[in-house]
Amino acid sequence: MGGNAMQPLANITPLKSVPRAGAIEVRSVGQVFKTSTQDVVALSEVSLEVKPGRFVVIVGPSGCGKSTLLMMMAGLRQQTSGTVTINGAPILKPDPDRVGVVFQEASLFPWLTAEENVEFPLALRGVAKSERRAKAQDALRLVGLDGFGKRHPHELSGGMKQRVSIARGLVQDPPVLLMDEPFAALDEQTRMTMGDELLRIWAATGKTVVFVTHSLTEAVYLADEVVVMSPRPGRMVDHLQVPLARPRTYEMLSGDAFGRLRDRIWRHIKKSA
Amino acid sequence: MALGIKLARVAIIITIFALWEALSRSGIVNPRLLPAASDTLAMLGQLLQRASVRNDLAVTASEVLTAFALAVPFGALVGFLIAENRYFAEVVKPLLFFAFSIPKSIFLPMFILVFGVGFAQKVGFGFFSTIFIVIMSTTTAVEQVKVEYLTVARSYGATSAQTALRVYLPSMLPVLLEALRISMIFNLTGVILAEMYASRDGIGHQIASWGENFQMKQLLAGVVMIATIAIAFNEGIRWVETRCSHWRT
Repeated sequence: MGGNAMQPLANITPLKSVPRAGAIEVRSVGQVFKTSTQDVVALSEVSLEVKPGRFVVIVGPSGCGKSTLLMMMAGLRQQTSGTVTINGAPILKPDPDRVGVVFQEASLFPWLTAEENVEFPLALRGVAKSERRAKAQDALRLVGLDGFGKRHPHELSGGMKQRVSIARGLVQDPPVLLMDEPFAALDEQTRMTMGDELLRIWAATGKTVVFVTHSLTEAVYLADEVVVMSPRPGRMVDHLQVPLARPRTYEMLSGDAFGRLRDRIWRHIKKSA
Repeated sequence: MALGIKLARVAIIITIFALWEALSRSGIVNPRLLPAASDTLAMLGQLLQRASVRNDLAVTASEVLTAFALAVPFGALVGFLIAENRYFAEVVKPLLFFAFSIPKSIFLPMFILVFGVGFAQKVGFGFFSTIFIVIMSTTTAVEQVKVEYLTVARSYGATSAQTALRVYLPSMLPVLLEALRISMIFNLTGVILAEMYASRDGIGHQIASWGENFQMKQLLAGVVMIATIAIAFNEGIRWVETRCSHWRT
């Protein structure tokens, strides 16, 4: 206890020996919803390669299928066509060994304390109590919540809750962390702080992160690469590299390079609206 | 809670008993119809000493608890299965509302014909009085479990049994406790009504016969006794409910 907040996940040993960072490959993935009157194409021919350790942000207006795509990577939804593989093996159902998921707000169980929430994935696999607790405490320390383990979610702020969610996603040390609009419900200031926190955690753990958002600023600020999607049907319209230096700073937000990237994304989105 | 509110409540209860005492003592209400509160409470003390009354209480308690122990798990299971299957839920839910709206007491003569007068008749009628509210509450409880929680469980590889025990059950707990509390009211009403209607023992039977014999002191003492037991049970569950109210949506 009482360690510094920057401590990496070094003492969290993986349950299986898997690489710390994963490679994701999405190959011509499509999704069609059948309704009684017509077939709705939610995703059309999406292909994407994410290299290990990269921070990739998927951005687009609502209805562009960005969350659907993420849920496919998580094995929570099956595509109609195409394949999704992580570290060479297809994802057919949720696989907590390979993927940790961080959801939008309010995904913590309110009847469990913060540390019990973080322990939840481990409890499902019957990991012994003491080991569970130790790993949960390491994960909470990593996200800067040392000492908050005994609190229930309703006793935590929105930002703290999402820190707990991130800790839960990381507790099994998966090579890939998928994040579905995790900061969407937070106020602007908290959102900025959480972005910096996430980048710090990412740097400390070296995970591959795929992050979905509808905020252009958030996308450019966080990402190595931004994938832009448009709706009806959901498809990829751009895939751009973000050449900004790391660590990212608040000053970059007003710089020319940042503005150009954001404008380029905005033009795509405006066109599809 | 503010102390003032609690005091006000106690004051109201004391006032009711004081008014009761005054009306009877002053003769404004015929004391033969309304014996004084103090006499009634003294009679309650005496009754509780009597072996026959204790036996009646034990009989009623066993009937109530048996009916409850049968109706709650059975009703919860049926409610869960209904809510889990959307098609089945659509078909059955209105029918449940129909069944729920019928006064259960009109079926009491049938229970006597089928089960005879005795333990099975009371338990059967208690069960029948309780089951619909348990099914309906459980269905509601299942439906209000957040999809997000289920998705989280799925993404971390939870089995169906783990999802049921670790997500559904705790998530439903606040609503289930409320259901438990309300179904106990229905259950108690059912059993006591069955006892008053046709029985050889049980506290409901005792209360009915005190009434028929114009033993007002005993009758009112019985009323106070049953009321106290019911309130105590209700408050006990309510206390647990408040402890998990923070995850109620």
